[in-house]
Amino acid sequence: MLVQTRALAWRGVKSTLRFPQSWFPALFFPLVLMSIFTASFDRGVGAIPGFPPVRGFLDFAVSGAVLQGVLIGGVSAGAFFAADMEGGFFDRLVASPVSRFALLSGRLVAGMLMAAAQAVLFVGVAVVFGARVQGGLAGFLILVGLAGLLALPIGGLGILLALRTGSAEAVQGMFPLFFALLFFSSAFFPRETMTGWFRTVAGLNPISHMVEGMRAQVITGVDVPAALLSLAIILGLGAVTVGLSALMLSRRLGDS
Amino acid sequence: MGDGRARAMSVSGMLAWRAIILVRRMPSVFLPSLVMPLFILVATSGAFHGVGALPIGTSSYLAFTIPFATMMGAGFAGVNSGLTLARDIEGGFVDRLISSPAPRIALLAGPLAAAAIRSVFTTTVVLAAGLIGGVHPPGVLGTAIVYLMAALWGVATACWSMGVALRAKTVQAAPLMQLVVFVAIFTSVAYAPRELQQGWLRHISDWNPVTRILEASRGTELGGADWTEVWPGLWASALLIALAGGFALHGLYRLGRD
Repeated sequence: MLVQTRALAWRGVKSTLRFPQSWFPALFFPLVLMSIFTASFDRGVGAIPGFPPVRGFLDFAVSGAVLQGVLIGGVSAGAFFAADMEGGFFDRLVASPVSRFALLSGRLVAGMLMAAAQAVLFVGVAVVFGARVQGGLAGFLILVGLAGLLALPIGGLGILLALRTGSAEAVQGMFPLFFALLFFSSAFFPRETMTGWFRTVAGLNPISHMVEGMRAQVITGVDVPAALLSLAIILGLGAVTVGLSALMLSRRLGDS
Repeated sequence: MGDGRARAMSVSGMLAWRAIILVRRMPSVFLPSLVMPLFILVATSGAFHGVGALPIGTSSYLAFTIPFATMMGAGFAGVNSGLTLARDIEGGFVDRLISSPAPRIALLAGPLAAAAIRSVFTTTVVLAAGLIGGVHPPGVLGTAIVYLMAALWGVATACWSMGVALRAKTVQAAPLMQLVVFVAIFTSVAYAPRELQQGWLRHISDWNPVTRILEASRGTELGGADWTEVWPGLWASALLIALAGGFALHGLYRLGRD
C-alpha cells in the first residue's frame, strides 16, 4: 500500500509540475498579494491599535500567503482528481489491484509535498526581501510542517468535491468559496484590529486559527500552544474531509 | 446625419439592448459582477478595518473602499462585454452580423454602451451597501462623478476585453481579460493612498493611470468634488479608452480579413 501511495503521489507531483496552469496561480497570486499588502501597509502597522508588534508587515503577511497558496493548490488537487475521473484514468486504477486507500492517499500526499515546498519557497522569498522568522529553524520547520499538513483537509475537501461532482470545472468553480473563507479570516490582517460581526465571523473561521498558528512562529518565536491549536484544527478538519472522501469513494465504487 | 451613421447608431442601440437583456435572460453571467463588488466591499472593509486609524483621509475604511469596489464592479461589467463578444464569435452571431449590411463599428459601440449601463447597476449596488453601512453619498455632483469614473473605467475595460476577444475568438481568453484588469486596479491605490505606499508599488501606482481614476472617485467620495483630482481622473480615463479602444478597433478591422 505504501509503495502504491508513493507511486501515485509521485505521479501527482509530476502531473502538477507538468501543467503550469495548475501551480502558477498558487504561486503568483499569493506572492503578488503579499507584496501589494506589504507595500501598502508596512509604513503604518505600528500606528494601528491592536496590531501585534512586528518588525514589518512582510513578517506578518507571509503566513497568510502560505495559506492562500495551499488553498489554491487544494482546489487544483481536487480538479486533477476530477480530471482523472473524466479522462478514464481513475477507472483504470480502480480496475487494477491498487488499494482504495492509495487512490486517496496518493493525491493527498502529493498535495502535502507541494504545500510544504510552497511554504519553503514563500518563506524564502520573504526572507530575501527582509522578513525574519523569529522562531528560527524550529519555527520555520513548524510552519512548513503545518503548511504541509494543511493540504490534508483542503485536499480532502477538493477530492470530496471531485468525487461528488466528477467534474474538474465544478471543482474549480468552488474557488470563490475558498476565497471568501480566506477573506473572512485573519489571513491578511489580525483579528484584534477587526470589529463587530466581522470579528466574530473571523473568530469562528477555522482558517484564522490555522494561519495564526503558523504566523506566531514568524512574528513572536516558537509558540508551541499556538502550533498545537493549529495542528488540532487541521487534523480535526482533515479527519472530517478525508473521512467523507473515503466514504464517497466507497459509495461510488459500490463497496457499501 | 448620414444614413450610415444613423444605421450604425441604430444597430449599436439594438446590440446594447441585447447585452442588457442578457442580464435578465442569463443572470449567471451578470450576477458575479454584482456579487463580487459587494463581497470585495464587505470583505476588504471588514478585514482591513484597522487601517482606518492611519492617515487615509477618513477614519472609515468602508468609505475608503467604496470607490475601489465601484471600480471592481465596473471592471467586471467591462470584462463581461468581452466575454459576450467572445461567446458571440464562437456561436457564429458575429459572422452573421459581419456578412449583413450592419456597420462593423456597431459590434463595439453596442457592448460599450452596455458596459457603461451595467456599471451604473454595480455602482448603485455598492453605494447602497455603503449607505447601509453608514457612508452617505457625496451629494448630487459628487455621486455623479463617482458614477462617471466607474462608467469610464467600465468602457476602458470593455475595450480591452473586446480587443482580446476579437483576437482570441474564444471565451477561454477570459483569464487574460480579467488578469490585466485586476492587476491594473491592484497596482494602483486600491488598498492605501500613495502617501502610505512604498517601494515598487509606489513607483507603479505613480505611473498607473488607474490611480488617477480611483483618486478622483475616492477624493470625491470622501470630501466632495475636487476638480484638481477629478480632471486627472478624466484625462487618465481618456488615455486608457484611447489606447484600449485603438486595440479593439484594430482587432475589429482585422476580423475576417486574416
